[in-house]
Amino acid sequence: MSFSGPNVVKKIKDSLDFITGVILLVISLVLALYLVPNYIGEPPILQNPMMSPKWLPNIVSWLMFAFSILLILQGVLVHQDGENDERKLVKGPLRRFIIMLVAVLIYILFFESLGAIVTGILATVLLFLAHPVRTWWAYGFAIAFPVGVTLLFVNVMNVPLPLMPL
Amino acid sequence: MENFSEVLQLFLSIDNFIAIALGVVIGVTVGSIPGLTATMAVALALPFTFSMQPVAAILLLVGIYKGGMYGGSITAILIRTPGSPASACTLLDGYPMAQQGNAKKALKTALFSSVIADFISNIALIFFAAYLAKIALNFGAPEFFWLICFSLTIIISLASGSMVKGLLAALMGILLSLVGLDSVFGSQRLTFGNYNLMDSISFIPLLIGLFAIPEILEFYRKKIVPHIKAKASGAGMTLAELKRSLKSIIRGSLIGVLIGAIPGTGATAAAFISYSDARRRSPNKANFGKGEVEGVAAAEAGNNGVAGATLIPLLSLGIPGDVITAIILGAFMVHGLTPGPIMFQENLSLIYALFLGIMFSSLILLVVGNAAIKYFSLIADIPKSILFPIVLMFCVYGAYAVNNSTFDIWLMLVFGLVGYLFNRSGIPAAPFLIGFILGPMFEDNLRRSLLISHGDLSVFVRGPITWFFIALTFGSIAYALFKFFQERRAAGKDRQLES
Repeated sequence: MSFSGPNVVKKIKDSLDFITGVILLVISLVLALYLVPNYIGEPPILQNPMMSPKWLPNIVSWLMFAFSILLILQGVLVHQDGENDERKLVKGPLRRFIIMLVAVLIYILFFESLGAIVTGILATVLLFLAHPVRTWWAYGFAIAFPVGVTLLFVNVMNVPLPLMPL
Repeated sequence: MENFSEVLQLFLSIDNFIAIALGVVIGVTVGSIPGLTATMAVALALPFTFSMQPVAAILLLVGIYKGGMYGGSITAILIRTPGSPASACTLLDGYPMAQQGNAKKALKTALFSSVIADFISNIALIFFAAYLAKIALNFGAPEFFWLICFSLTIIISLASGSMVKGLLAALMGILLSLVGLDSVFGSQRLTFGNYNLMDSISFIPLLIGLFAIPEILEFYRKKIVPHIKAKASGAGMTLAELKRSLKSIIRGSLIGVLIGAIPGTGATAAAFISYSDARRRSPNKANFGKGEVEGVAAAEAGNNGVAGATLIPLLSLGIPGDVITAIILGAFMVHGLTPGPIMFQENLSLIYALFLGIMFSSLILLVVGNAAIKYFSLIADIPKSILFPIVLMFCVYGAYAVNNSTFDIWLMLVFGLVGYLFNRSGIPAAPFLIGFILGPMFEDNLRRSLLISHGDLSVFVRGPITWFFIALTFGSIAYALFKFFQERRAAGKDRQLES
């Protein structure tokens, strides 16, 4: 009796479901065995265990565990339609994605220190360059929109946003 | 009479009219741009409603919802790309019509059917919501507990794709909703000492993250698709064609109402059922799929018939039927209102002011929809490379505005990543959101039931209403299992035929 890795992989009919199931199984075990017992406080006296703050998180964690096993089994046994699979993504150049992540980081790191307008302009210009947008006048939108939307939030809707650099 | 004048006072405000008109314009615009969804627009508009009066705020979101439902059909007809999943059925006959040079006729048909269906759906909402709320006044905590169980199971059983994934999504949503301070004992639950999490996870960053950020991530990750330009040309819909399609429109609207009132079913199912029904009954059934006016009319009637009806369970029971009504529920909560039977007692004037606004939105849809046909090419020709950076800006500003904290921007991005991973692994986001909303209600009603019965579990089977909901809950689970095995059997047969 021999065990070969590729054969086992071949037997799995939907590897994505299998991997998702395994990840969720691990998460559910971490929840049920570590996070729920250690990070949920419980009062010393309880009339009914179902009233405990731990009760529902515990039940949900174990249900997640059970359904993760079912998802793993689904991955092993059930074939998915290859052509109509909406999960598939035809990937483009990585450069665009990385520039987009940089733009997101600009928002996160500098939103309060530089203000909504400056970070908005910086991130929008960067995202235009990422694609790239080749119509030069379109870059006017990268300035007009952050200014317009910020003023709309602050002055018309009375929703406070950091306006200018600190 | 005193109530009526109060209703008029609440409704006849210029802010409400602006909110409805703006909402429908935003909805049609966003719906007509492939890649942008009405759900995304409603989520992004939510932070703008903070300073608005409750009626204007809800009407803005309802306007976007209704506009988005129609807007989705524009791209389906013109460039064979449905703006929303529910418009997928419209393209079956709409796109062939556009190819035959009858794009304008198809768009007008879609508009008139949408408006008629929307109107019928609104009438159903007004009649049934109050009636259902009156019945729901007899519900106690155990009845609500089972109603929530039923809502969760039916949403999962009717969701497209794998039932196991739907269940996992709902469980994750419930678990996440429990983060924060426990409502009874005040103990911390999974907050890890972070004070930002003590007041539970903010709804708006979660919403924006789940429904807007994944679209942006996917746009910058996937291959660039060439931009298709389209034009609405040809003659409009004739009165004779409208008369011929009227029966299908009314039947489709009623199908939409019926399906919309059941939590979890959604507009896509209604559109396809209405289309199949119209094809079965039509004397022109051979022309269906080749550019039949009645086909477009039936699909759009089914699709839009759902809009008003999905608000029935929300307003009368406080249970959201789909993702958009879940967001609208969030808007109610932001304004300190809790939809449900009690709201019909305490805020009746507000509800009837909303009803008036919702009726008015059908009229606005007709006006805006007509203009959209004319100026569509201007809207749809805006490239996504310009749109998505602006959408990201709205996401960041909207998330920050909730608590004036960058923590919420982080939270939004984390849920954006979760939404992206959900899309890649085929886990539906809708049950996750519904689980997040219903989780605290589920726990609250469970605990209240135990408190009133002093821990006696027989309270959960205490009378005919609980039995009814228990039967529905187990019925929906049985249906889900039946559907699963039926699909597997059909897939097995297909594979046998292929081999």
